[in-house]
Amino acid sequence: MAQILQYLANGLVFSSIIILGSIGLSLVYSIADFANFAHGDTMTLGAYGAFVAFGVFGGLGGTVLGLPIGFFLALAVGMALAAVVAVLTHILVYKPLDTDSIGLLITSIGVAFVYRAVLQASFGTDFLQYDIRRSGPIPVLLDTLDVAVTQRDVAIIVSAAVLVAGLHLLLQRTTLGRKMRATADNPDLARVSGIRTDRVILVMWVVGSALAAAGGVFLALYSQLDPRIGFNILLVVFAAVILGGIGSVYGAMLGGLLIGMLHELTPLLGDIGLPISNAYAPAVAFVIMVAVLLVRPRGIAGDMT
Amino acid sequence: MNEHDMRSIDRRSVMKAAASAGLIGLAGCSGGAPEESDGGDGDGGDGGDGESTDSSTESGSDTYTIGMVDSLSGSLSAFGQRNQRGKEIALDDVNAVGVSGGELEISQQDDQSTSQGGVSAAQTLVNQEGVPLLIGTVGSGVSTAIHESVVQNTDVVQISQNSTSPNLTNFPDLLRMPPAGKAQAEAISALLDEDGNESAALAWINNDYGQSVGEAFIEAYDGEIVYNEPHDQGQSSYSSTISSMSDTDADAWVFITYQPEFATMSQEAFDLGVTDQAAWYGGDSVKGPKVLESAPEGSLDGMKAVVPSVPQDAENYQAFVSEFEERFGEEPTSWSAYAYDAVVVSALAIEAADEFTGAALSEVVRDVTRPEGEEATTYEDAHEILANGGSPSDVDYTGVSGPIDLDENGDPVGLLQVFEVVDHAYESGGFIEG
Repeated sequence: MAQILQYLANGLVFSSIIILGSIGLSLVYSIADFANFAHGDTMTLGAYGAFVAFGVFGGLGGTVLGLPIGFFLALAVGMALAAVVAVLTHILVYKPLDTDSIGLLITSIGVAFVYRAVLQASFGTDFLQYDIRRSGPIPVLLDTLDVAVTQRDVAIIVSAAVLVAGLHLLLQRTTLGRKMRATADNPDLARVSGIRTDRVILVMWVVGSALAAAGGVFLALYSQLDPRIGFNILLVVFAAVILGGIGSVYGAMLGGLLIGMLHELTPLLGDIGLPISNAYAPAVAFVIMVAVLLVRPRGIAGDMT
Repeated sequence: MNEHDMRSIDRRSVMKAAASAGLIGLAGCSGGAPEESDGGDGDGGDGGDGESTDSSTESGSDTYTIGMVDSLSGSLSAFGQRNQRGKEIALDDVNAVGVSGGELEISQQDDQSTSQGGVSAAQTLVNQEGVPLLIGTVGSGVSTAIHESVVQNTDVVQISQNSTSPNLTNFPDLLRMPPAGKAQAEAISALLDEDGNESAALAWINNDYGQSVGEAFIEAYDGEIVYNEPHDQGQSSYSSTISSMSDTDADAWVFITYQPEFATMSQEAFDLGVTDQAAWYGGDSVKGPKVLESAPEGSLDGMKAVVPSVPQDAENYQAFVSEFEERFGEEPTSWSAYAYDAVVVSALAIEAADEFTGAALSEVVRDVTRPEGEEATTYEDAHEILANGGSPSDVDYTGVSGPIDLDENGDPVGLLQVFEVVDHAYESGGFIEG
């Protein structure tokens, strides 16, 4: 039982990271209408941006959720950097390209390679760390529930929840959010209704990339930082987006939660006697994704925006 | 209604696109993305290579160009970077003396630590640049992939600078510098027995290296194996592996994996509070400065590692160390020494061979490392024997990494060293002949 709780706790942390990644991917799909393969490397970019910024702000005193305040500043810098790079890429590459969604998709793969090449050239290929001490499991939870959760895990989950809640408020409670939803739903109708869709699209890139960067920073915080972290997790993020219903932000959140959980719950299969090892966790997650799509072809939340 | 139709068509085409692009993506994760294989690495073949290969057939001051595939990026880049330094020193040592009256040049390609990257790198070197001798590479699966798809059935000589998988023994023409992983696995198992561990949990990386060393360990170990599972390379999280290991009551945990993967696992084990549950053991990948750097202070204390090693008291190794320290400001690892020897052995083969072709080189490359001939511990000494009319079997090059003495299977005689982590630093616990 304790073991199941532990798997669920691991899953929640992993899901938080996937969710942050999948929202941006889904947003970009719903507006710009293509599957953005540079999204994983946008996550990596944000993580490196935060790494550099943490070198500057790292010394700032005080802690929030067990992490230095400087880390959250660095997180903001990483998010801003990713947003700026994504907007520039949109203006310089995607927007002038007069091609269909497959052409854009292939272009985005190229963009991903460029991002990664720049990071490799600047930082090398060895793995790096945010210089923050690991604290080990929180004693209270370990004693009462026999579940090992670190402060850093809690910080990741809480930060992801805050960002997701913020996005929800933005989409539902603000004029900008209504414009974003309208543009996602039907760009032409939005434009004739007087919405400046060009600007809305830029906002989408900013929001999506900033959230992706946050996911990248947490991913690097959770394990370590190397130029491939984002690309390595991209397929799982795609699975989450498609499972949730591509183009739907809330679907992406739900899909991210499910895929992250499935990924981390794979050892249970071994515990109940199925000979499937952890190495095949991504395969299991994808099989379940396909099974769900067979029942609900438009994804779990395919009809919502 | 119309809009609904549009959306479902969209979804279908996106699924198709995502699936096909996913294949490309998968190739990037496990097989190696082809994107950077030519050019991305600054050290790659520069323009002059083609000409220099041609000019080597002329007499006078020739340039002999050989190929090198190395892991400059990806999971194994830590090894690749060490190789680069060893290679650099070896090239200077060789060219200070000269090879067959000419110069040695190395045309290099990155394999990105993946089989696909390695094969395309080797294809560039062998098929386009026409090198007769190829040094390559780090990952055992990558080395064998290169051998099977590029080198086999040609007369090109391949020397792996870092691969330790027992599987390479099955390819007699695939030579290597470090001792086979079988000896390493047996040494780890002997350590477990010695320390009185009656059961072990084994986590191995899901590739050629992990599988073969893991199997060799299982074969050698007398105790009970209570957990025996592979894990994939390059995953973001291994907490499920660690959680399942901690769910067993194994006395010892054995890690046969790579450094970034192990670094993630050790951090997650710390986060889960299970680092003290069992004694930890591992191969090469659990010993590296980055591994300690990324692990919380003291969390790895007591862990033991068995790694291919170098004869630390030998005079030529000492000279290599001081040269290395002068240039790079730190001590070399054995991986640098293997790369150094790979280059020197290649140069000696060129010196000893009648002509600069794969067929001629493969005839002599083993002989220059074997006993019976006069022992030479530096390139200069070995070169002198050959230059004075000695035949290939008159030389027994003993490298900075050990006796070498390549056997019929292309495996060297090497040394293994045991390390234990004490006060968050590696301490040597003696040598074993492998």
